[in-house]
Amino acid sequence: MKTDRLRAINVPQRVEVELDANGWPVGTRDAGCEMRAVEEIGEIWRIDDEWWRVPIHRRYVEAIIEGGRRVVLFEDIITGEWFVQKP
Amino acid sequence: MTVTPHLASDSAACCWIPLFALRCETARRPELASLPLALLAPDDTRRLWQVAPLARRAGVKPGMTVSQAIGLCPALKLCEPDPVHYDEQFARLVAALVTVSPVVEPVELGRVFVGTDGLEGLYGEPEKIVEAIQLRIGDCGLRIGNEKAESAIHNPKSAIRVGWGRGKFVSWVAATRAKPGAAVIVPVGGEAKFLASQRLAVLPLDPDTHRRLLQLGVKTLGALVALPEEAVVSQFGRAGRRLWRLAAGLVSEPVVGRVVPEPIVAALTFFTPVGDRDLLAHALDKLVDRALGDPRRSGWRVQVVRVHAELEHGASWLVAATLKDPSATRERIAAPLKTQLERSPPAGAVERLVVEFTAFAPGTAELQLFARDAGAAARAGRRRALQSAAREIALRIRRPMLYHVIEVQPWSRLPERRYALIDFEP
Repeated sequence: MKTDRLRAINVPQRVEVELDANGWPVGTRDAGCEMRAVEEIGEIWRIDDEWWRVPIHRRYVEAIIEGGRRVVLFEDIITGEWFVQKP
Repeated sequence: MTVTPHLASDSAACCWIPLFALRCETARRPELASLPLALLAPDDTRRLWQVAPLARRAGVKPGMTVSQAIGLCPALKLCEPDPVHYDEQFARLVAALVTVSPVVEPVELGRVFVGTDGLEGLYGEPEKIVEAIQLRIGDCGLRIGNEKAESAIHNPKSAIRVGWGRGKFVSWVAATRAKPGAAVIVPVGGEAKFLASQRLAVLPLDPDTHRRLLQLGVKTLGALVALPEEAVVSQFGRAGRRLWRLAAGLVSEPVVGRVVPEPIVAALTFFTPVGDRDLLAHALDKLVDRALGDPRRSGWRVQVVRVHAELEHGASWLVAATLKDPSATRERIAAPLKTQLERSPPAGAVERLVVEFTAFAPGTAELQLFARDAGAAARAGRRRALQSAAREIALRIRRPMLYHVIEVQPWSRLPERRYALIDFEP
């Protein structure tokens, strides 16, 4: 039986991102970790949604960081903040 | 057929417990009673089935999707349905009523008719018959908030409403007019007067006919009866004649009882939970075969078959099929169950599968049916074990750490909107 209120899964987590001159991530740092270089940029896509209430505009970037880990980052185009999230 | 002509009664008492499934849940978890609560639909867990009054006040309605409902009422508490539990509770109610009268006709969860012809000699006036019914319900251990037998009578906190009258329609309308814990009795001969002031919605109308009648200015049954019967028939055809006659109190549908079914049960507990539909269908065939092979089934064809499954995490799944042509062959009995298995499969992996033949039609010999097996007791034991494991985890970790994942907006482009966690408590 499930009885409590809903808790969101896969909420975006703030990350610090270093950008190159073109605005692409070259390094990323989770809270409390050291900066890791981005070795490769994979797919890039954009989501524009919920324009009827609080508009959401995101630029998603799939990145391979040093050590070979794959992460999906996105930039909140409105605030300029970067987040990490599972796609 | 299981229906026998002598098990019929013109006078009827209708016992009605609105939101029966929801009340079963709040009886198990009393702290939920004060919260805006909704029950997910057994066949589609993205939609709501029953909605508590507090949630209704926030605009939440049955049939809404979970995401719509959460949008309207962010504090909404959701419960996964447990149809087997509701069915067990309802079976208690029906069993209690059978001790008052042999003529009992269950209609849906929470609504059942009791034939009361001939009970005057035992109990006296209709008021006393109704009181006996209320007492028996209060005393049957039905867990819907009635602690003691006395609490079922004249108790606004009781959920049971009873209506008494001639025929099922009158008694049903009377039950809908009764206050919680109270009864409305329509004296014989007073049907037309009682029905005249009732709203049109009490009639079994389709939405289109309802709308047309309202457009004609007909808002009560009295207003409908004031129209000439033939005029109603010319507008609405044969259905119109039936509606007019029901509204006039001229139709008295008797309560038709059944020979109390003694189910034949076959059960299978899987070593590991099974989610594969082919495997479940195969297990279904085997269980139907085993139940058919029960010597107690000899001489009887199966009319109603139910399958219930205990799922991982304490949830359950239930489907039932009534065979138009009662049968004793596996293929014909299993076919409707497999269709439902495809259409609305269990929401999780199945730990235990149970096939139950609950009603029979005579074959070539006498009926020889026996009592229920100990399946229900075993299931209760497993649930208790699960509860105790969950309690132990909560004690060790000191905060709720068991969750269920449910779909909220699986189509959303925003990953965080697709799924959510809700507390898991078996």
